[in-house]
Amino acid sequence: MGRQSAGDTGAVNTVLGPVPARELGVVAVHEALLSVVPGAEHAFDVVIDRAEVFAAIAGKLREFRAHGGGTVVDAAGMFHGRDVRLYEALSRATGVHIVASTGQGPEEMLGGYFLTPQTNPPTPWPAERFAELFAKEAAEGMVVPRVERRGAAGLVATAATRTGMTATDESLLRGAARAALATGVPVSLRFGGDAVRELDVVLDEGIAADRVVVGGLDRAEAVAAGVPFEVARRGAYVAIDHVGTEDAAHVTDAERAELVAGLVAEGHGGRVLVSSNATGVAKGHEGNDLPYSHVLTAFVPLLKAAGLADEDVRRILVANPSALLSVR
Amino acid sequence: MSRVNTVLGAIPTEELGLVAVHEHIGYGMPGSELDTRWWKTPEERYAETVPKLRKFHEYGGGTFVDATGICNGRDVDYYRSLSAKTGVHIVASTGFVGGDTALPFFARASVDYLAAHFTHEITVGIGDSGAKAGIIKVGVSRGGRMTDLDKRIYRAAARAAKATGVGVLTHLAIDAENAIAIFNEEGLPLDRVLFGHVDDGVNADKTRDTWIAEQGGRIGFDTFGYETELPDPPFWARPRKERLDHFLRFIGGEGRIRQVLASADANCSALGWPGVKGHTVNYIFEDLIPDLRAAGLDEAAIRTIFVDNPADFLSIKN
Repeated sequence: MGRQSAGDTGAVNTVLGPVPARELGVVAVHEALLSVVPGAEHAFDVVIDRAEVFAAIAGKLREFRAHGGGTVVDAAGMFHGRDVRLYEALSRATGVHIVASTGQGPEEMLGGYFLTPQTNPPTPWPAERFAELFAKEAAEGMVVPRVERRGAAGLVATAATRTGMTATDESLLRGAARAALATGVPVSLRFGGDAVRELDVVLDEGIAADRVVVGGLDRAEAVAAGVPFEVARRGAYVAIDHVGTEDAAHVTDAERAELVAGLVAEGHGGRVLVSSNATGVAKGHEGNDLPYSHVLTAFVPLLKAAGLADEDVRRILVANPSALLSVR
Repeated sequence: MSRVNTVLGAIPTEELGLVAVHEHIGYGMPGSELDTRWWKTPEERYAETVPKLRKFHEYGGGTFVDATGICNGRDVDYYRSLSAKTGVHIVASTGFVGGDTALPFFARASVDYLAAHFTHEITVGIGDSGAKAGIIKVGVSRGGRMTDLDKRIYRAAARAAKATGVGVLTHLAIDAENAIAIFNEEGLPLDRVLFGHVDDGVNADKTRDTWIAEQGGRIGFDTFGYETELPDPPFWARPRKERLDHFLRFIGGEGRIRQVLASADANCSALGWPGVKGHTVNYIFEDLIPDLRAAGLDEAAIRTIFVDNPADFLSIKN
């Protein structure tokens, strides 16, 4: 049975039901718990042992809690391994709040039901249908496919294609924005080719900028082009969400700390979020095996070294995500 | 010894009986499981499905080939229970209905990986069910031409078919030149391939059925019953007489009756779409076979189409 959504109470939808925002504590706002590339669950050489998966993720959540973490947000959407009943058990067992997401994207990650439906011609889903699908998950509960609805989704997570937003990506973004507007949960957009343009598509639906977070803004080309500042100036949240990933596509943690300090200095301290995009357990892809505590243990010292005061850090780790996730 | 993989284990080919060679217990596009509008309780699923299979059995049906691809709601544990309780042999597929029904993990996979996956499902089993696939499903994506992914799937299917001896069953037989080129390159004899849906209302005009037969392929007239005369016909429906005449014309060709198979492509309980009310696998007994008799086919001809040809096609050849 679907459970109650947080509704208009300033509470946050967790997998165990609405929780007052002030109880979230330190939030890892862009992470994944069980991360399964769609289809991998059918692959002959992929084994998903629920007990083993549970033990691995529970260990990581406990480690996060031991370092002062309070809440993990699974921002992987509804079709990338999300397992609501497993997340409920994990939250109960570890005491870490878990917020799970509805939404999908980019286009490449969608099932054929949305892209080539059994109509003639096979027209991909428009924004309105995505809006309805996502809104129901935020209002009536997230689906266990063909079985039941469980707790309400805490956010709508979507993404655009790296090489540029496709027509279906745009439908996803607009649908996500409409679902968020209708239900009061925020939108998380992992940007594709052009963060500002994609954010503008979401804002074009009439949603307030402070209900939107743009992820992927620690990618090297985005930082070089000053995109995080552009996003913050529009009033949306800036997610520096690959902390701990240092590769050709991303800036280093030291550069991330500088970026955060720069945003704070320009008065955007209330719009910054940091997270690691870690995967608790990954199936069908490599995943990102960082501990959820990486921000707390390794990145916070860099932020302080970059000149952030304790209250700035606390704002970024606690107040900003709580405000974002509060159902309005 | 000649055998066929069913969901309850291998059976001798002689036990197949009358075969419905292209059917679905329940088909839905990948992702449809997320949309509650299509959900039904297991009670409803069994209530919609069991009577159809029982009737199929009572009519003298022996084997139901489920042509549902890996990501289309294929549910082998469910098929096993249905088979055990109704007495109908059920053959499950590995493979995909088309590239546009393969989810990202498989869409990104290499030909070698796809071939290994298909082979595993045929020789070891599907998931941890222990049930082995008895056929490989492939198909052409929406749009009328084979996509690169469709071609990779066909090539992998050809390799797995060669390695395991099971047959390949296609969704659509349009763009057959590309399909046959791949099968030829991989050295798969074309009598191991059933080119399906040559008779559907959208594609029949574009399908070179006699040319495919001349190359040695088997031909599937397997959308019997999707008729424009239905109260709410799907877009691939076709006038009943037009399809029947097409079939009779086709088997009128020299020796062609040995190459043809027929089925209804019906869903017992559709998964991600409304399904087509009034259309079931039992169209074969209630409408098609009477129509064929009325058209002058004798019992030997009917046996060729529904028993002997499918037995030869489904037998594991190695």
